[in-house]
Amino acid sequence: MKSREQEYKEIFIAEALEYFDALNRLISELEKRPQDDQVLAEIFRMLHNLKANAKAIGYLQISDVSHKLETAFGLIRNKELSFSDEVVGVLFDGIDLLGELIKSIDSERQVEVDPVLIRNLDIIVDSLSDSTVELAKVQKFSTSRNLTLSDLIYIQVKKLDHLMNLVGELIIDRDRILSLSRELDSDELKTVGSHLYRITEDLQYSVMDARLVSIGTLFNKFPRVVRDIATAEKKEIDLELSGQDIQIDRNILQIMTDSLLHLVRNAITHGIEKPEQRVRADKPKAGLLQLSARSDRESVVITLTDDGKGIDIGKVKNAAVAQQLVPADVAENLPDSEVYSFLFEPGFSLAKEVTEFSGRGVGLDVVKNAIDSIGGRIRIESEKGKGTSFILQLPTSIAVKGALLFEIDSIFYAIPLIHTDSVVALDKDELHEVGEVLVADIKGETVTVVYLDELLNVEESQMRLGDKTRLKGQVQNIIIVSYNNRKLGLIVDKLYRQQDIVVKPLSKPLDSIDLYGGVTLLGTGKVCLVLDVPAITRYFVNRR
Amino acid sequence: MKRILIVDDSFYMRTMLKNMLTDAGYEIVGEAPNGQTALELAKETNPDLITLDVILPDNTGLDVLKGIKAEQPDMKIVIVSAVGQEVIVNEALEYGALSYIVKPFSEEKVLEVVKKALDE
Repeated sequence: MKSREQEYKEIFIAEALEYFDALNRLISELEKRPQDDQVLAEIFRMLHNLKANAKAIGYLQISDVSHKLETAFGLIRNKELSFSDEVVGVLFDGIDLLGELIKSIDSERQVEVDPVLIRNLDIIVDSLSDSTVELAKVQKFSTSRNLTLSDLIYIQVKKLDHLMNLVGELIIDRDRILSLSRELDSDELKTVGSHLYRITEDLQYSVMDARLVSIGTLFNKFPRVVRDIATAEKKEIDLELSGQDIQIDRNILQIMTDSLLHLVRNAITHGIEKPEQRVRADKPKAGLLQLSARSDRESVVITLTDDGKGIDIGKVKNAAVAQQLVPADVAENLPDSEVYSFLFEPGFSLAKEVTEFSGRGVGLDVVKNAIDSIGGRIRIESEKGKGTSFILQLPTSIAVKGALLFEIDSIFYAIPLIHTDSVVALDKDELHEVGEVLVADIKGETVTVVYLDELLNVEESQMRLGDKTRLKGQVQNIIIVSYNNRKLGLIVDKLYRQQDIVVKPLSKPLDSIDLYGGVTLLGTGKVCLVLDVPAITRYFVNRR
Repeated sequence: MKRILIVDDSFYMRTMLKNMLTDAGYEIVGEAPNGQTALELAKETNPDLITLDVILPDNTGLDVLKGIKAEQPDMKIVIVSAVGQEVIVNEALEYGALSYIVKPFSEEKVLEVVKKALDE
C-alpha cells in the first residue's frame, strides 16, 4: 500500500531533483551574468522551497545545506558577498552535495558530508573572514558526473483521458481491420491483425493501469472524517478499513468520493445508535463501521457496513405506499431487495424519521445517480437491529466496457455486462399477458418481459407490449437485466457474443433519447446502439 | 463547505496543505503555482479563503496580495512564509492579510489559523 508518507517522500524527491537540475542551470548562468537579479531570485526561491520542504518532511541535512546556500545567495544578492571564483567553487560544491543528499534518500547509501565543505560554506555565510582566501580546496564528490533523471513524472489526468480516448478509437479501427481480414480471407492481413490485436490490448491495459490509484488514497481520509462526524453526533464509532491497496481508475474514485462520504455520514447519523441505546440493546457501546474494498473480476466492490439499528422494512413499505410509488397490495409481497430500492427514488424519505439533518434515504438518489453515471451498481442488505450494508459494484475503468451484443430486426445493439444478470430461452407459452406487459416466472421470480422490437421499432400509438401475438417464433431469447434490484427481461431476435466496446456518448440532438446510453462502432463498421438499462428499467417500473 | 484556494510554487507544499485542509473538511477549489494563476483563480473561483506563499516565481506574494485585494477587497488571505521573512509578513499584514503560517507548519497550526481567519 502506498501510504501518505510514501507519497510525500516521492513528491519531495521528484520536486527536489527538479530544483537541483534547475539550480545547476541557473548557477551556470549566474557565472556568466553575476548581476542578473532575476536569476538570483530564482535560485533564492528554489533553495528556499527546498529548505522548507526538507524541514517539513524531516530531512534535516538537506534543509541545513539549503539554508546555508540560501544565506550565501542572499548575501550575493545584497552585494555583501562577491561572486568570485572561490565562492562560485564552494557554491557549486554545495549544490552538488544537495544533489547527493537528495539522491541518497531512496538508496541505502549514506552520504558522508565533507566537513571541509561545510566549513567553507560557513566561512562564506558567516563572513568569518573578509577575504575568501581561506577557502580550502575540497575534493569533488564525483569527478566523472553521472546524469540522472527522476524515475517519477507527474502527469495531468486530462492527458491520460486523452490517451484513453485515442486507445478507444484505435480499438474500433483494430476491430474493423480484423473483420476485413476475415472478409478478404487474407492470411497476411490476419497475421498482422492478430499482432495488432495483442498490441492494442496490451496498450489498453497499460493506459488503464497508468490511471489506477489505490483506494487507500480515499479510504485513508475517513478516520478523520468519521471521528469528526461521530464527535458532532455524540456517538462512539470504531472504523475498520480493509482493501486499501485495491486499485481503481482515478476518475471513478473521484466521482465516488462524495457518495461514499454521504453514505458514511448517513451510517453514523442514522444507522448507528447512541451509546446508551446500544448498551440497552446489548450491543457494544461503540458502533462498528467497516469500509472495505475487494476486486471482483472486472469490477471493484466497496462495502460499507454498520452494526446499527438496521432498516425497518415495514416503514419503508408504508412510506413507499404513502408516496404512491407502489400500490399497498403489491408492496406487501415485494422481496426485501426491491423494497430497499425505494430508498434510491428521488425525494423518497421516511417521513417520521426526518431529523434536523435528514431522514435516511434523502440524498440516496444522488448517490445512485453518481453510480449510474459510471455504470456501476449499488444494493442494500439490512437486518433490523443488526445493521446495514451498502454494496457498491464499480467498474475499474470507464472507457472500455464489457458488453453483450445482440440483434433486433437486423440491427446490432449492446448492453453493458454490469447490468446483465443472465440469458434464458423461454417458450412463448411460458410468457403471460398481464395488463400492458408480459411477465414470466424466471427462477421463481416474476419478471416483467419486454419485446424490444416492439418497444424500439413500433410507434407509440401502435405499441402493444402486452400482446403475445406480436412475438416472432416459438422460442424467445431473453436477456435478464437488473437495475436497482429490479429485474427486467428483454426479448431479442438473436444473441451474439460478449465483447469489449468503447462507448461514445450520443451527441445532440440524439442525446435526448432516453433509451440509449451511447453508441459504438463494430468491427464490421456497423453502428451499434448501447441500451441504457437504468432508463429502460425506470420506464417499466413506472408503468407497473 | 468552505472553499479554499492554495497558492504556493512548491508542489510538495501544495500537496501537504491540500491534504491537511481536505481532511479537515474544506474544499480546495484550486491550486496556483505562480502569481498570474493565483490572480486568475482568485477571480474565477472566488474562494472563502486563500493561502498565499510569499515567494513566487513571477511576482512576489505581496504583489499578488495587492492585486487580489484591489479586485476583491473582502477576500480572506492567510500568508504562508518561512522563518526569516518577518519583514514581508508584516508588510502583508498591513496590506490586509489576516494572519500567517510559518513553514514548516504543523497540521494543528494550519487548521487553527485557517479556522480563525474564516470565523472572522
